Amino acid sequence: MTPPRDPLPPLAELWMLKDGADQDVVVSSRMRLARNVQGFRFRARFRPDEAERLERHLRGALKAARPELQYASLKDLTSAQRDVLFERHMVSAEHVQEGHARGVGFSADGAVSVMVNEEDHLRLQVFAPGLDLPRVDAEVNTLDDRLAALVPFSYSDTWGYLTSCPTNTGTGLRVSVMLHLPALSFRPEAKGGQGEPGIVKVSKAAQKLGLTVRGTHGESSRAEGDFYQVSNQVTLGRSPEQALSDLAAMLTQVVDYERNSRAILVKEDKTRLEDVVWRAWATLRHARRMSSREALAHLSALRLGTCLQLIDTVSLRTLHTLMVAMQPGHLQQAAGRELRPQERDVVRAQLIRDTLGAA
Amino acid sequence: MPPGRCDRCENPATVHLTEIKGGHKSERHLCEKCAASLHVPTASKELAKLLKSFEPAMALATQGSAAPGLTCPECGMTYAEFRQSGRFGCARDYEVFAEQVGKLLHKIHGGTRYAGKRPGGGAVKPPPSRDELLRARAQLDQAVRAENYEEAARLRDQIRRLNEEPGGGPAP
Repeated sequence: MTPPRDPLPPLAELWMLKDGADQDVVVSSRMRLARNVQGFRFRARFRPDEAERLERHLRGALKAARPELQYASLKDLTSAQRDVLFERHMVSAEHVQEGHARGVGFSADGAVSVMVNEEDHLRLQVFAPGLDLPRVDAEVNTLDDRLAALVPFSYSDTWGYLTSCPTNTGTGLRVSVMLHLPALSFRPEAKGGQGEPGIVKVSKAAQKLGLTVRGTHGESSRAEGDFYQVSNQVTLGRSPEQALSDLAAMLTQVVDYERNSRAILVKEDKTRLEDVVWRAWATLRHARRMSSREALAHLSALRLGTCLQLIDTVSLRTLHTLMVAMQPGHLQQAAGRELRPQERDVVRAQLIRDTLGAA
Repeated sequence: MPPGRCDRCENPATVHLTEIKGGHKSERHLCEKCAASLHVPTASKELAKLLKSFEPAMALATQGSAAPGLTCPECGMTYAEFRQSGRFGCARDYEVFAEQVGKLLHKIHGGTRYAGKRPGGGAVKPPPSRDELLRARAQLDQAVRAENYEEAARLRDQIRRLNEEPGGGPAP
C-alpha cells in the first residue's frame, strides 16, 4: 500500500521552521481563497464520476499554472501520510476523512498548498513564517490570477465568488495569523483571581472588528499550548484590503499587549516564570511517556522562555520541529507502521529526549 | 501545529465542546462520526439552526412566492434541503434561491455588496467606509467652526464623492 517514494516534502525543508518577523508572538501568516469552477456542481451534489473528472481537470490546470508544484491524490496516500499533511496544515480534517476523488498540490516547502475537491473545488492557501501578510497576499493572488486565466471560476458581480457555504461567499478569503499568547492566557491568580485573562479581552475586541479567535486548526478547533488563530469572518461587503487592514491593525495591538504582559510577568516574579520554563525543560528531557497535549504545553513554556531569553538550551527551530514531528501522523510515518496511542506516547517521549539531548 | 484528535477514536477531531457547569469547565474533542453518535450539535447543524431561525421572517417576506418549494433545475437541490445542510449544490442555486440567499448573506456578513477582484482582472470597488464618512464630517465641522472655508469646501467635496460611490458598481 506504501507508494514507492515518499511524496511529501522532508520535514527539514518546511516553511514553518524558518524565521519570520515578530516571531516571538506571531507564529505564522496565512491566506486562503475558495474558488469553484463553472460547469461543475458543488461537492454536496456531485454527479457520479464528477469528482474524478474535476480532479483531473484541476490537476492539469495547476500543472500549467505552477509547474513546480507537486500533486498527490489522497487515494494514493497511506493514512499516516494523510495525517502528516493535516498536521502540517496542508489539508483540512474534512479533506482527510472524505471519500470522493480529491487531492492536494503543494510547493517543496509546503508554504503553498491547493486542496482540490474540498468543500469548494479549489482552496488555495499560502503560508509564511511570522508576520508577513503582504507576502501571502501577493502570492495567493498571483496563483489565483494564473488559475483564473485557465479555468472559468463561478462568480457574479453581485455576490462575488460563489462558494459551497454561504459563509465564504464574496471574496472567498480567509486571512489568518497564528499567535502564541502564553502571557495573555495566563490567569491572573496572584491577585485573588479577579480579572479575566487578557485573551478574553482580545477575543471580545476581535469580534467587534469582524474577526474571530480560534484554536490552531481553524474552524471550531481548540486552542492548545496557548496558540490561537485570529482570522476574518466577513467575506461580503468588505473588500480584501479592508479585511487585511482590520487584521493588521488589531495585530499590532495584540502583539504589544502580549509583549507587555510578558514584561510584567518577568518583572513581578521572574523566578516563578524561570521555574515553569526550566521544569518544562527537565520534564521533556527525561519523561518516558508523553501525550501530545502535555508535550505541547511544555514546548509552549519553552518557546516563551526562549523568546524571553530565560533559557538558551534550545532554538525556536528545534521547538517548531518538535511541535510538528511529535504528532501522531508524523510519529507513525517515521516508524513506518501504525502505533497505538500508548505506544505513541513512549515513542514521542523518546523523540523529544533524543532531539533535546542533541540540541 | 498542535494535533486535534478525537477523544473516542483516532480520527482528527472536528467538533469541540466546552461545557461550563457550576463554574467547572470541561472540554471534549470529537470527530464528526462520534459527535453524531453522541447527538452532539455540530457546526453544520448550527448553521442549519441559524437558517431556520429566520424562517418566519423569510416566510413573511416571500409570502405568495413559492420559496419553500423552489428546486434548482441544474442540481436538483431544493431550498428545504439547502436549509437543512447549509451547503449549496451548485452555483446556479444562488440565482434560483436569490431572494432568500440575499437575506441569508446579509444576516451572515452584515452586508451584501461585493467588494473585491474579478476573475478576469479588474475590481469591484468597496462601498465607502462608514468610518471614513464620519471622520470627514467631523473634520468638516471643525473646519467650519475654525472658519477655514477652503478646507471646508475640500471636505464637502470629499463627502459628496464618498456618498456618490455606489460600491457595487463595476470599476472603470
